[in-house]
Amino acid sequence: MREPLKNDLLCTPREHQLSRRRWLSGTAGMGLAAMLRPAIAAELEKKQKQVLFIWLDGGMSQFESWDPKPGTQFGGPFRAIPTSVPGIHLSELLPRTATQMHHLAIVRSLHTQYEDHSSGVGHIQRGDPKNRGVVYPLLGSAIGRLMGAGNCGLPAYVSVKPGNGGFLSGDAGFLGPQFGAVALGDGKPPENLPRPATLSEFDDRQRNELRERINRRYAARRRPEVSQANEHVFEMAAQLKRRLDLFDPSALPPGDVERYGTHDLGRHTLVARRMLEAGVRFVKVTSYGWDTHGDNFNGHLSLVPKFDQAFSAVVDDLAQRGMLEHVLVIAMSEFGRTPRINGHIGRDHWPQAWSLVMAGCGIKPGIAVGNTNDQGTFVESDEYDIGHMFHTWFEALGVDATTTEYDNQGQPLPIAHEGCHAVKELLA
Amino acid sequence: MSDAKELLNRYQPKLTKTVNLDRQMGSLRYSRCGKFLAAGGFDGTVRRFDAASDELSPLPPLTGHGGWVTALAFHADGRRLFSVDTWGHLRVWSFADAEAQPLWTLERAHAGWIRGLAISPDGAAVATCGTDQHIRLWSADDGSKRQELAAGEDTYCLAFHPDGSLVSGDLRGIIKQWDAAAGKVVREFDARAMYLYDRIQDVGGVRTLAFDRTGTTLVAGGSVPKSGGFVQGSPLIYWFDWVSGTVRHTLKFGADADGYVYDLHEHADGFWMAVTSGQPGNGKLLFHSPGMEQPFFVATNMANCHALAPHPDGDRLAIAATNGGNNGNGRRLNDNREYPGNFTPIHLWSLAPG
Repeated sequence: MREPLKNDLLCTPREHQLSRRRWLSGTAGMGLAAMLRPAIAAELEKKQKQVLFIWLDGGMSQFESWDPKPGTQFGGPFRAIPTSVPGIHLSELLPRTATQMHHLAIVRSLHTQYEDHSSGVGHIQRGDPKNRGVVYPLLGSAIGRLMGAGNCGLPAYVSVKPGNGGFLSGDAGFLGPQFGAVALGDGKPPENLPRPATLSEFDDRQRNELRERINRRYAARRRPEVSQANEHVFEMAAQLKRRLDLFDPSALPPGDVERYGTHDLGRHTLVARRMLEAGVRFVKVTSYGWDTHGDNFNGHLSLVPKFDQAFSAVVDDLAQRGMLEHVLVIAMSEFGRTPRINGHIGRDHWPQAWSLVMAGCGIKPGIAVGNTNDQGTFVESDEYDIGHMFHTWFEALGVDATTTEYDNQGQPLPIAHEGCHAVKELLA
Repeated sequence: MSDAKELLNRYQPKLTKTVNLDRQMGSLRYSRCGKFLAAGGFDGTVRRFDAASDELSPLPPLTGHGGWVTALAFHADGRRLFSVDTWGHLRVWSFADAEAQPLWTLERAHAGWIRGLAISPDGAAVATCGTDQHIRLWSADDGSKRQELAAGEDTYCLAFHPDGSLVSGDLRGIIKQWDAAAGKVVREFDARAMYLYDRIQDVGGVRTLAFDRTGTTLVAGGSVPKSGGFVQGSPLIYWFDWVSGTVRHTLKFGADADGYVYDLHEHADGFWMAVTSGQPGNGKLLFHSPGMEQPFFVATNMANCHALAPHPDGDRLAIAATNGGNNGNGRRLNDNREYPGNFTPIHLWSLAPG
């Protein structure tokens, strides 16, 4: 009767703190950059499309959000509410998002392959391509590589997350670490990034010159990709140093903080909006703590309204600013949660039938694609895997996933699972 | 107060029978006459059973609620059963009728989830509370609203002192005594150890409140939460001195996997009976006398106990628990290739005096 907890079910993400020391310690050993074919890369670089990717780590319940089944065996205690789109209902925990439904597209027919976090998080964010013996990039790194940083003078891939910041080189997989994420721990710039007050501008310049001389000597004995990665990290540091105004709360319009919420998810989503306004290509917001194996309904009663507040605010703001035309918004987890309600009044992991939401940038607004059965247990319509979503997102962003390939040191690799395709219903 | 060995010898608690239902139930109460047992379901029904014997023969369920039926209370008049649900409904039933219909219904007693329900000692009023952060007092006769109290917080449970004073317990571990007529808080009792803010999740809350029969002690049950998500924490019970408001006795027991105290009642002999539910498979029935360091009886042979109903004769208990093997990731189909839900076994215990 008693089932011990398994450590691999506990969500304890470990990422490294970014500090001036780490920035300046060099990036020796950085891997080899996979190259996109140059003509395609140049074309995509011109496009100003952007992505906001909200990651609800642990698994949001589809019943308590996008696919409510009130009054059924597994429906839980909550009701469904109408939205701004007649016929589409959401959980009553999403009243503000319901008013933005005319901007949104829900997919209610996801059927994915992984039912634990350790495999689910990585596979889902990498698009679960066929196994070719390489580690694919997470979506942010892929977009950074495929579309470039644009001309905003900021890193292509910025991750806003609770806890520590850092340079998340592992996100880039085989692309090489220069396509990793700059992580803003708690939405703040990396600690110690500005020149210390005790260091004069002259001394700082001299120190940098020394570093550059050493780097040149180091680079002369290594492949060019290694030194390019090294230079890239320093450039990202320099870029952030030039735009510390983006982290200044006094520059925000009055009321924004309250509108998004003073909790982590609200504050971080607001930082994300500022990054998008500044032109960052891909901004990821991570919220931890959605793995509600226990007390799921009180947990979602606390969590979902915070998501609702932040998500509806950013969708509304992007729409008001005309930015939804070119910003693709995605909110999702690694899987949904079981229909079955366990003895701890929790829901466990359920990749068999779950939901995500998206908006903007080539996505058809105001629709719900796919459906589950009356009980919400399984998908009744065509099932979509994460590969289908990657194809759809790439197409919405103007990247043809059927013809575009990575060139991994001569190894051609498809950018999305070749057994999947874009979901045409979702595309405007 | 008797010692542990003497109490055990006197009562010799034994699990006598288990009746499996087809759905999960979150609340359980015996009628004052002891002839009926009612269970509030996750399917929006109130299940009734003939409790004259341990067979628990089912009677036609009471239907019409929405969401989950979260709390039940039998009126002292022996005729009426009050029930509330997560969709804001308050219903009153003439429960002994074969095809019982509601005597009256409030479709919007609250804006959403009603968590707590209590009937005043004089039987004139019924109090409800919920996620809309309000406490409301209704005429028990016709459902007319008598008073509305702005609790300012998600309120989980209510109890009336024998003198008619109303107390509430909320998510943040604050227990409030109300002057209902003035709509004001008279004083607060500190149970904040029952609350945790983890990442962006509010966890815990005062889950159950009760007074002893003399009205000298207020008892609060919950957990010491350690995390959101899985929601781990050790069960916790406070015994407050009603006059001074100070904690007279504390019982924190079990492991972090043991979770919450969901229901507790005083036995006529002065000890307290409580049930717990935590990580799937973990559930306890415990008997505790506040003078002792540890419970003098703990049963661990039931999974995830959510409600405890003492029979009025003092010799029996009913416990709403959960079936074993009630959790797991991913697709689990039964022998018929169907996706199974969980269900509640009602465990009947005897407290046969030795």
